[in-house]
Amino acid sequence: MAEKVNVKNLFVKFDGEQGDFQALEDISFSVKQSEFLTILGPSGCGKSTLIRAIAGFQTPNKGDIVLDGKNVSKPGPDRIMVFQEFDQLFPWRTVMGNITYALKISGMSKEKRQQQAIQYLEMVNLQDFTHAFPHQLSGGMKQRAAIARSLALNPEILLMDEPFGSLDAQTRSILQSELVRIWQKVGSTIIFITHNIQEAILLGDRVMVMSTAPGQIKEIVAVDIERPRLPETPEFMKLWHRLYSLLETKRFGENDDKNMLPDSD
Amino acid sequence: MFIVILLTVWQLVVSLGDYSELILPNLRSIWDALIESIASGEMGDHTAYSFYLIGQALGIGVVLAFILTALAMVSPMIADFMKTITTIFHPLPGVALLPIALLWFGIGEKSIIFILVHSIIWPLILNTYTGFRSVSRTQLEVGRNIGLKGLKLVSSVMVPSAFPNILTGFKIAWSNSWRSLVAAEMIFGASGGQGGLGWLIYQKRFFLETPYVFAALFVIIIIGILVENVFFAQIERLTVQRWGMVARKEE
Repeated sequence: MAEKVNVKNLFVKFDGEQGDFQALEDISFSVKQSEFLTILGPSGCGKSTLIRAIAGFQTPNKGDIVLDGKNVSKPGPDRIMVFQEFDQLFPWRTVMGNITYALKISGMSKEKRQQQAIQYLEMVNLQDFTHAFPHQLSGGMKQRAAIARSLALNPEILLMDEPFGSLDAQTRSILQSELVRIWQKVGSTIIFITHNIQEAILLGDRVMVMSTAPGQIKEIVAVDIERPRLPETPEFMKLWHRLYSLLETKRFGENDDKNMLPDSD
Repeated sequence: MFIVILLTVWQLVVSLGDYSELILPNLRSIWDALIESIASGEMGDHTAYSFYLIGQALGIGVVLAFILTALAMVSPMIADFMKTITTIFHPLPGVALLPIALLWFGIGEKSIIFILVHSIIWPLILNTYTGFRSVSRTQLEVGRNIGLKGLKLVSSVMVPSAFPNILTGFKIAWSNSWRSLVAAEMIFGASGGQGGLGWLIYQKRFFLETPYVFAALFVIIIIGILVENVFFAQIERLTVQRWGMVARKEE
């Protein structure tokens, strides 16, 4: 399948008070059309910086982000981001209004907007809450609405920055399977950030493991497990342990010589 | 119905105390004065004039406040400067500027408007700026993500997001200016035969028409209640409360 996104030799550096901090060092990878890539890494590994760079919110110091053969540097509706924060919906608009407004900006006609919004709200099971305001929704429902808004815009690629990170375990697992169902139906290309190994395996076609300071790609692992995936199966557990050790070596292997734990964040 | 008790107590004090009508008029004559002054158009004219002054000052104040806030948003240096200026002038009661207003603008409309603008812009700047500064980064990025830029981003994301704070700014601006207005009018009096409610009170006291003084006070209270508890409360219900938003504090 065709390559959708190509990230080439990406470097991002932050000027901190205690000197420069290399957030991302020489990141290169690509995502295929309709592929679901999960990016797994400990906090502070630069995975959020990476997805923000792809979205265009973070200007890289070096390197290219190529979408469908074209370099991108500014935010645009071809790459829609779903955030972890529950406040990503505009509180002054209804659930419906949040979606139709985004569609309006994208230049869609009025009837089409309504139709499209309802279609995607049904897809995330929010059809009974179209006229609710975001503050009336639970965290999980807010994230569903945000996903519906993002999907309705029909982006080339969906960027998800730990969208389920602030949810309770049960809601989280429901939304995970719903996301897979929707992705299989719509066929969108997704990059999904997480620090949860199980989530990375459940969702991704491939899991890209990152390491900290500087943020680098450790390994990209293909997930050859039939969907729907169940965490109890031996192959799932085997992969879980493999990813776990990939993350662990970073923490206790490479930092051992300094005899200290890495700084949190 | 505390109001009924209040009015009864008033009437009791008046009847039992045997005060002169000039000091403490009874309810009946206050009511008659109110009806009479409304019927003659006197009350209406003075109220209209007060609103005319406050409207002008609000117009000037809002424009100034938004220009200054916009400048502060653009440059951190201007922002620091604005903060200092606002901190200095915000606690200063408008009426305290009367002598200066007199020196600069003389007796008349301009001086009153000067004082009103002073009492409007600082709370408005303070709250609008805080509101803009605390707009959620996520919401701003969502706005940019779906393709909003520049002024469109400001009007579609920043203004509604800062709206609770902007509304608070307007509420304080209103109550400050309404209080200042009545005080300033009493001291400045009228220009060209026109005057507001404050002037009406002053005039009526001068002619010892005490029931009219109380009638005018009554109107001032009613307007205050209507604007704060009906007008602003209604806006709040339709916007901030409906959206589940709260004004944010300076971080």
